[in-house]
Amino acid sequence: MNHIKLLFFATIRDRAGVRSMEMDIPADMTIAGLKEKLSVDYPNLKESMRSVLMTINREYAFDEAVVPANAEIGMFPPVSGG
Amino acid sequence: MTASELPTIYSITESEIDLNDLLEKITLTSTGAAAIFTGMVRGVTTRGDAHETEYLEYESYVPMAEAKMKQVADEIRERWPVIEGIAVVQRIGKLYPKTPTVLIACTAAHRDTGVFDAARYGIDRLKEIVPVWKKEIGPNGQEWVEGDYIPKPGE
Repeated sequence: MNHIKLLFFATIRDRAGVRSMEMDIPADMTIAGLKEKLSVDYPNLKESMRSVLMTINREYAFDEAVVPANAEIGMFPPVSGG
Repeated sequence: MTASELPTIYSITESEIDLNDLLEKITLTSTGAAAIFTGMVRGVTTRGDAHETEYLEYESYVPMAEAKMKQVADEIRERWPVIEGIAVVQRIGKLYPKTPTVLIACTAAHRDTGVFDAARYGIDRLKEIVPVWKKEIGPNGQEWVEGDYIPKPGE
């Protein structure tokens, strides 16, 4: 198992109800797998999973990427700065 | 001067954006032009969905945002090698109408060097890839503003 930290922002944080959480995931889990797991474990987040942007260690990450040990995973909607 | 020695400022801040201070920092003895874009909180919107805004509340994934702002500056230098100094600053927190929220400034020796395009590219790119979000609070409640850009691998 890999230990990871999740950081939630904006709408995703509102739905999660927390700013961050830590969890253990299988060592070969991909971003797609992680999204699936979160949809099941946290039904509030299910709707967000279609449009969420995911990052691994502060770089944008996509469905097929494998989540490394001790990863910092960011989860947020498309950005709206400026 | 190599690119790494040229002044490049990128930051997320909760403080007021100080244009004069930033401009001084990105002005070299060879600088003769600066293109500055700044965005502010619009209290009254008439284009599209007309509405009023009491204030905006900005938040950011700060370490990633600052890294992506540096990336935007690097992309500017790659496209416009004549650019001398670059400042990219995003203010976060609770910001009221007429308050500057973001500033992109690029300097160059002359105005006809692409310096206007460089600043334009900087603000457009910031709005695509820098992780900052704003919640809009108005007379009818509050709502997160969501962008529509989906970054591609390598961005």
